[in-house]
Amino acid sequence: MRLLPFLTAFTSLLSLSVAQKPHKYFTFTDLASSSKGAKGTVLLNDQLFGELTTAPRNYTSVILFTALDPRFGCVLCRDFQPEFDILGSSWHKEHPNGDGLIFGVLDFSVGKGTFQRLGMSTAPILMIFPPGNTLSAENAPKKFDFNPNDITPAEAVARWVTTSSKHTVTIHRPFNYVKLFTFIGGIVGTATMSKLAYPYIAPALYSRNLWAAVSLVAVLLFTSGHMFNHIRKVPYVVQGRGGGVSYIASGFSNQFGLETQIVAVVYAVLSFSAIALCLKMPRMESSGKQKIAVMAWNLVLLVLFSFLMSIFKMKNGAYPFFLPPLIA
Amino acid sequence: MSTVKSILFKDPASTESARTILRVVILLTIAAAAVASRLFSVIRFESIIHEFDPWFNFRASKYLVKNGFFDFWNWFDDRTWYPLGRVTGGTLYPGLMVTSGAIWHALRMISLPVDIRNICVLLAPGFSGLTAFATYLFTKEMKDSGAGLLAAAFMGIAPGYISRSVAGSYDNEAIAIFLLMFTFYLWIKAAKLGSAMWGGLCALFYFYMVSAWGGYVFITNLIPLHVFVLILMGRYSGRIYVAYSSWYALGTLASMQVPFVGFLPVRTSEHMAALGIFGLIQLVAFVDFLRGQVPSKQFNTLLRALVILITVVAFTGLVTLTVTGVIAPWSGRFYSLWDTGYAKIHIPIIASVSEHQPTAWPSFFFDLNFLIWLFPAGVYLCFRQLRDEHVFIIVYSVMASYFAGVMVRLMLTLTPIVCVAAAIAVSSIFDTYLEIDSPEEQEEDDSKKSKKEKVKDTTGGFLSSKAPFIGIYSVSSKVAVVAAFSVYLILFVLHCTWVTSNAYSSPSVVLASRMPDGSQHIIDDFREAYYWLRKNTPYDAKIMSWWDYGYQIGGMADRTTLVDNNTWNNTHIATVGKAMASSEEVSYDILRKHEVDYVLVIFGGLLGYSGDDINKFLWMVRIAEGVWPAEVQERKFFTSRGEYKIDAEATDTMKNSLMYKMSYYKYPSLFPPGQAQDRVRGARLPSEGPVLHTLDEAFTSENWIVRIYKVKDLDEFGRDHFAVSAFEGGKKKGKKGGLAGRAGGKRGRRVVRI
Repeated sequence: MRLLPFLTAFTSLLSLSVAQKPHKYFTFTDLASSSKGAKGTVLLNDQLFGELTTAPRNYTSVILFTALDPRFGCVLCRDFQPEFDILGSSWHKEHPNGDGLIFGVLDFSVGKGTFQRLGMSTAPILMIFPPGNTLSAENAPKKFDFNPNDITPAEAVARWVTTSSKHTVTIHRPFNYVKLFTFIGGIVGTATMSKLAYPYIAPALYSRNLWAAVSLVAVLLFTSGHMFNHIRKVPYVVQGRGGGVSYIASGFSNQFGLETQIVAVVYAVLSFSAIALCLKMPRMESSGKQKIAVMAWNLVLLVLFSFLMSIFKMKNGAYPFFLPPLIA
Repeated sequence: MSTVKSILFKDPASTESARTILRVVILLTIAAAAVASRLFSVIRFESIIHEFDPWFNFRASKYLVKNGFFDFWNWFDDRTWYPLGRVTGGTLYPGLMVTSGAIWHALRMISLPVDIRNICVLLAPGFSGLTAFATYLFTKEMKDSGAGLLAAAFMGIAPGYISRSVAGSYDNEAIAIFLLMFTFYLWIKAAKLGSAMWGGLCALFYFYMVSAWGGYVFITNLIPLHVFVLILMGRYSGRIYVAYSSWYALGTLASMQVPFVGFLPVRTSEHMAALGIFGLIQLVAFVDFLRGQVPSKQFNTLLRALVILITVVAFTGLVTLTVTGVIAPWSGRFYSLWDTGYAKIHIPIIASVSEHQPTAWPSFFFDLNFLIWLFPAGVYLCFRQLRDEHVFIIVYSVMASYFAGVMVRLMLTLTPIVCVAAAIAVSSIFDTYLEIDSPEEQEEDDSKKSKKEKVKDTTGGFLSSKAPFIGIYSVSSKVAVVAAFSVYLILFVLHCTWVTSNAYSSPSVVLASRMPDGSQHIIDDFREAYYWLRKNTPYDAKIMSWWDYGYQIGGMADRTTLVDNNTWNNTHIATVGKAMASSEEVSYDILRKHEVDYVLVIFGGLLGYSGDDINKFLWMVRIAEGVWPAEVQERKFFTSRGEYKIDAEATDTMKNSLMYKMSYYKYPSLFPPGQAQDRVRGARLPSEGPVLHTLDEAFTSENWIVRIYKVKDLDEFGRDHFAVSAFEGGKKKGKKGGLAGRAGGKRGRRVVRI
């Protein structure tokens, strides 16, 4: 809606531009099929954008206002660009002549003037300019709502374009040959490698210690909440108040990456102490050494379990139990 | 020393009968403790069915007892999923209802006419005693009866299992965990003995499990995995062949007798592992047989090529069948276990359920306490001997840990193995440190040489047990370790009791809160509202609510619902979501088309009850958006800064949605002007509450948790309801006081409790 004053300013130039460029639609479709930019999308600048959006228009244009230059640090712009290119190329594939729908990209580096005139301070912005002879409310440009947390897939934009214009856009994702060949190559490579290396790996493959280590690491990883980190994409640590780093998340059903690693290590040491107590200790030959070692492992067990209980109490304030020596 | 010992401890052989009696007594005590610790909810509240799904199971059990088994089998329920109905008899796991029905009949036979409700309430605690026993048997196969007793005790009181088996939690899991453990016990027994009888028994209990819980797929995949790992380890034997073949053939045929399962065992990917291993083990057995007959080396090479060829062909065939659609691919719920991001994007209805969320580490510790760090130690100890049954524990541990990490709910399948592994660890420690005999210290030089060579090969070069076993020399070390572990065990009991009493014993149908003086105050809004529905609406009234409350409405209010917790029809649920998320104009149309008479919403703003519909609202929007992306958009429910707001800054879409209007209708009138507050979201509401045109408030419960609205009939003059309210609002201005609007319906006290 902030676009309206800008458009009304254009009405004064209306008659002029119409008279000057009766066939401008063809120019843009030529541009679109040219090699400039991705296939099917037009790289715009201030002047081209002005011409493209000037009424009367007998075509629909979908324009992405973006800032791809690394200086602006627009992650969303860079993430969305390939999706938009797929959108353009999909349309171009089905409709080589454009058929009244144009996809354009206006980058901030070449379109500063337009960004300023339209009062745009964020990017990316995606707009659709419906066809129309005059400037009325019904052919006013519409804005697409980006999901700020996730990459918007081309399919979602295609649905939006389909609902807000008379064109039906279907997405054709190019077949990923690189992925296929990497996959096949990977299989062949792995097979060859394992064939060649089998004589050397075989002893390790049948090593009980190796499998014990693998299983224990897996169990420790899963029981310390690694899958939660993986699914929820939790931060590793969080900058706490007062500049400090807080590495234990508050709240019972929340955790940070480092926190789970601490917990996993505590679990590992605790289990190792238990294993040492029941397997290693009775196999020591000197009674004096054995006594010291048993006491040491017992103490390690106690202190770490106490530490675990105190962390748990930090997370769950109502928890009534604790174990000396560490009382949180 | 030796005289004291001979007085206190006789020869083990002569005390065998005393030990047996002791074991029985201990097991009975454990079972009693397991049952008793699950009765908190009955004592605190009353003998009542809990939560959501148990209400359906209860309703089905009542139907079974009333109409008999064959009617139950053919039951078509026209009072749910209106107007579609549900073929209930063919779409449920009947094991639970049949079990309680059988108990009901058995008790009647011995002249004990117990109400079916009491059987349903107490079924889960009763079966937990049996689970403890099954765990004892299972662990006894792994180590010895000492470890078995410890495992049974852990299993009896571990919160991870109690969470799903307190009295009143009448759900499939109530009997399924017993069946799981018992089936595994029978499998271990079958694999150990190579006996077709034990394999057949295993298949029998597998069938019972299939008829009781969808989680049977866990068994269906774990046993083949065990066999597969054994084959890879080169441990194929005739015993494994007999056990697996008898289990698979009988178990699969039996499981196909359950109507809900039907041909799934041969047509879905979840069951293909079991089928594939069945094929593989036949091949391996054939090769094994031929190898014994034909010693020629060339023939062996040929044979190996043949086996590889057949395997490749079979695998390709499987893939082709899956691609062409003869074999259904992994169903969404199972697929989302592997591809963890899948459910959130494609099946919001699965992702929306809180028990399908991933598990944070405090949950593990909360549910298992010190067992969680003894668990890896126990798994490690299994690697020491590594008999066939130990491989099972290892495979089970790794798989179940993964699943429990991905889904909170699957903590339930992890708990038994954690108890078993931890019991093995604790019992090994006690074996070592409770030995009264202390070894004599030997001379350094001769012991080093001789003993190392003697015992070396028995453990297969396994780390940390290469040296010979000697024992603990000093009594003080023994006392210290035993004392420390006794403290941990006592702490574990305290922890379990506390967790059970505080976290897992709430029926969630009845809420409890504390008054300022510490006394307990019961909030009974749900039953108040359902009872109102039961008494004040016609028997065939259709109630629309979010699917969470479908079973409760069916069970407690006995009214027809549109959707319920059996989420089989996503579109129908999305329709309800759309009705809730759209403006009144759109919603009224949907409501009329589905002949809805009443709409029920849960609102926690007054009391601070956070599980209410406004907090679940985004899931309704997401599910509706999945079906009608053009009409419902999640984005429009967020403010421009991306916040989910319900106060004055809420978006217009939000404010116009039916859900918002029904939740906050007349709510500000409870407060002094401009001070209306939502206690869940901690937001101040605009002083002007929403206006409803197409619905009438029918009932609001005491604490406003349940609000019921009646859908207005079509206007007598054919006008739309907006015109009517505009007309009436214009004409009767001034006449209508604040109270006039409330005259239509009965409602609870309006008291603001702080």
